[in-house]
Amino acid sequence: MRLPQIVTDERRRRHGGTGWLVALVGAVVLVGAPYLPWAYGDEAMDDMTYLGGPSPTQFLGLALGAALLVCLLAARFLVPRLPAARRRWFAWHTGASAVATGALVFQAVVVVAVALELGGLVNVEYGGWIALAGALLAFAGTRLLVPERTATLGRVHSPAWLVILVIAAVMLGSLLLIAHALDEDDPGVFIALLVFVGAAVTLVLRIGLGGWFSSQTARFRPVLVMAAFLVAFAFPFTQDGSNANMSIATQVLIFAATALGLNIVVGLAGLLDLGYIAFLGAGAFVAAILSGSAFSAVGWNPPFIVTVLISGVVASIFGLIIGSPTLRVSGDYLAIVTLAFGEIFRLVMINLDGNDGPDLTNGSNGIPNIPDLNLFGFDFGEPHVMLGVEIPRFANYYFLLLVLVGLVIVVFANLNRSRIGRGWVAIREDEKAAEAMGVNVFGLKLFAFAGGAFLAGVAGSVKAHHDISVTPDQYVFLESAFLLAAVVLGGMGTILGVLVGATLLRLMPEKLRFFDEYRLLAFGLLLVVMMRFRPEGLIASRRRQLEFHEDDEELAAHTGEAPPGAGRAEPEGAR
Amino acid sequence: MDPAYFFQQLVNGLTLGSLFALIAVGYTVVYGIIQLINFAHGEIFMVGAFGALGTWIILGRAEITAWWMLPVMLVGAVGVSVLTALLMERFAYRPLRRAPRLAPLITAIGISVFLQEFVRLFYGPIPNGLQRLVFGDDIPFEFPDAKAAPVFPAIEGVSGGSFVIGGVTLQYAAIFTVVALVLCWIGLYLFVNRTRVGRAMQATAQDPDTARLMGIDVDRIIMVAFAVGASLAAVAGIAHGLQYTNIEFRMGFLAGLKAFTAAVLGGIGNINGAVVGGLVLGLVEVMATAYIPGTFGGSAWKDVWAFALLILVLVFRPQGLLGARVVDRA
Repeated sequence: MRLPQIVTDERRRRHGGTGWLVALVGAVVLVGAPYLPWAYGDEAMDDMTYLGGPSPTQFLGLALGAALLVCLLAARFLVPRLPAARRRWFAWHTGASAVATGALVFQAVVVVAVALELGGLVNVEYGGWIALAGALLAFAGTRLLVPERTATLGRVHSPAWLVILVIAAVMLGSLLLIAHALDEDDPGVFIALLVFVGAAVTLVLRIGLGGWFSSQTARFRPVLVMAAFLVAFAFPFTQDGSNANMSIATQVLIFAATALGLNIVVGLAGLLDLGYIAFLGAGAFVAAILSGSAFSAVGWNPPFIVTVLISGVVASIFGLIIGSPTLRVSGDYLAIVTLAFGEIFRLVMINLDGNDGPDLTNGSNGIPNIPDLNLFGFDFGEPHVMLGVEIPRFANYYFLLLVLVGLVIVVFANLNRSRIGRGWVAIREDEKAAEAMGVNVFGLKLFAFAGGAFLAGVAGSVKAHHDISVTPDQYVFLESAFLLAAVVLGGMGTILGVLVGATLLRLMPEKLRFFDEYRLLAFGLLLVVMMRFRPEGLIASRRRQLEFHEDDEELAAHTGEAPPGAGRAEPEGAR
Repeated sequence: MDPAYFFQQLVNGLTLGSLFALIAVGYTVVYGIIQLINFAHGEIFMVGAFGALGTWIILGRAEITAWWMLPVMLVGAVGVSVLTALLMERFAYRPLRRAPRLAPLITAIGISVFLQEFVRLFYGPIPNGLQRLVFGDDIPFEFPDAKAAPVFPAIEGVSGGSFVIGGVTLQYAAIFTVVALVLCWIGLYLFVNRTRVGRAMQATAQDPDTARLMGIDVDRIIMVAFAVGASLAAVAGIAHGLQYTNIEFRMGFLAGLKAFTAAVLGGIGNINGAVVGGLVLGLVEVMATAYIPGTFGGSAWKDVWAFALLILVLVFRPQGLLGARVVDRA
């Protein structure tokens, strides 16, 4: 179902000039408004009460306005002067509409945040309203601009030093951004920052720089990956020995590692698993039982390397058990089977308390007092000093988890490109056809389950030590739903997407504490809205995007792959 | 083996099974027509129970417990459930009708979480807040907070009462549940086979495209299917409230999952199958609790056996006991 189109191509062509002018006025207002006071109280966000001195948040608004201004001016005055070959390098109009939408959301968030934090809309001072009005003007005006076809900057070949410089700059920028965002305590500022980043990224992608970045960095893929890993590695050194942000970061990493494992099962093999958290739980319980905790029913306490392997193997045995029905069951039924399995796991863990069954897991109290890890004499529970910076407990686990996530990513990427990965995709697309082509359907499905479960089990074994205690109620259905949501939200079958999805889903509740009560409500709504409007996720793999928008010819033309049955294109609307 | 004990378990099993069956029909009716597992159907059952409670608070002024309150509450419960189901169909499922299979399932999980949280957070505050706006602080109808499990009204002659035949205790609430199932089953049979809309439902279930060509408004039939399922779930909600005295915002998840088991057990898409499946599941659960010896018996393991049964049925006999269409879709 499509929304009715108010702005048609016809209207765009006729009123494009007016739209440009309106948007220009909006952009100028957006640039000017930050110099006016936005709120009557200095407790709202980051003190936006001064005339002539913008606060950091106001500067973000200014930056959006300035970007819009640049887009508009470049489209009108720069493009006609360029040689014809360079005119299509940037999609200025498309970028302008993206940044104007972002600015509107940004200003709306600011107004709402001020109203909430100071108690009422009366606390928004005239500057805030002017900025909002400017954003509205910019938004309305940019709707009338004729969007360009795709930008061609991606085809331009750039020198190596430039590409590597850009990679370094992007990575450094994201490190500083993450460190800054995590330090932000004010929920309003945090959301505004998030909106700003979203708007900036969309602008960069839409204007054509995204295409350039992905096509140019493809040559330097190892450099990019190494840089990303370096940034992640450097993060604890920005924290001055503080545990607070590191504990959030470790939770994000555990969650991300598990979600990446689930992504193998759901994203690559297309098998919907609603009980995946049970594998994490299996690994955690095995590690807890073998940890030497006083509450463990088993006395044996092997070194952690052995424990990790046992955790992974036990989890993958569970994976094989749950995967074996996949020979006979598919689609919705498989989802329900896995859900039932997840529930059975949790109930059995509760029941194995020595009362209702043999004593193994200490029942619903779980296993507390799990000792910290000690690998090769390195005690994970103690702070260490590295490079002159104190590395606290959670940062130790952070490094270990980083290695784990790196491992999962390597496994994922290699599987994706291998014969196995292609087999999975074939099964996902059409099981019968795949079988006819000689793909070992049953074996590959089982391998997806067992492999995904192994990774989750390994993550679980680290989680047990990280959390200190393991209880069955950490592994409820809702957690499986969260994992699935991370995969779906980020983009099924992609690495970056799932990392982004996992980070958002774990970071948001931590930063938006005031929102805690409504967290699940928003989560439910998010799933519904996401499936309705962007089922392929924030960062979509191209194949998925086409799958979910089979009748969208515009997209097919965009990506250069024709969807089935879309041979004939409308003469006008097919851009 | 003590026969009285056995018959007591039989009665308990049939009662529990009737509850499952009433909910299971909702899964089966919708599945039969659009092959959608409406995973959020358990929440419709929960919403129905809360709707009945709300009706009692407003129309019964939270004090009338005479028998005639029961039909009044029934109307309220059915109204709330049907409205919720229709909104869900219209705004969440209908836009996804041609989407890949994964999308509606994830949507259903979202709806399920949303409805639970909505009831938990707003069941008390919204009606009470609205009344405060009108009446000031002295509000006439005080809604309980759904974060704790609110008490369901005890209807005279139904709640709590019981009689004994030959050592077997029959609770009135249990009799209400079984009778409600029988009446609903008969009513559903007549509706599906004797009315125009019912026959249109059958036609749509067989072949939606041809049905459309024959002038049947398929969208309307789908809405009818959702409404029928929601009505029966609302009846189940009241039956649950009468039997267990408390209702909870979480109760839809487990009940929905078990009812889905029942629907599959009977053969999903088959209405009689859903009823039979519900009764069988109820009996199996109660009997397993009563008769499995040693530490693996008892109520701690009953859900495990129910889910194990679900897995076994899905794996070895996905067409169910009575057999229906076999699912073969990715």
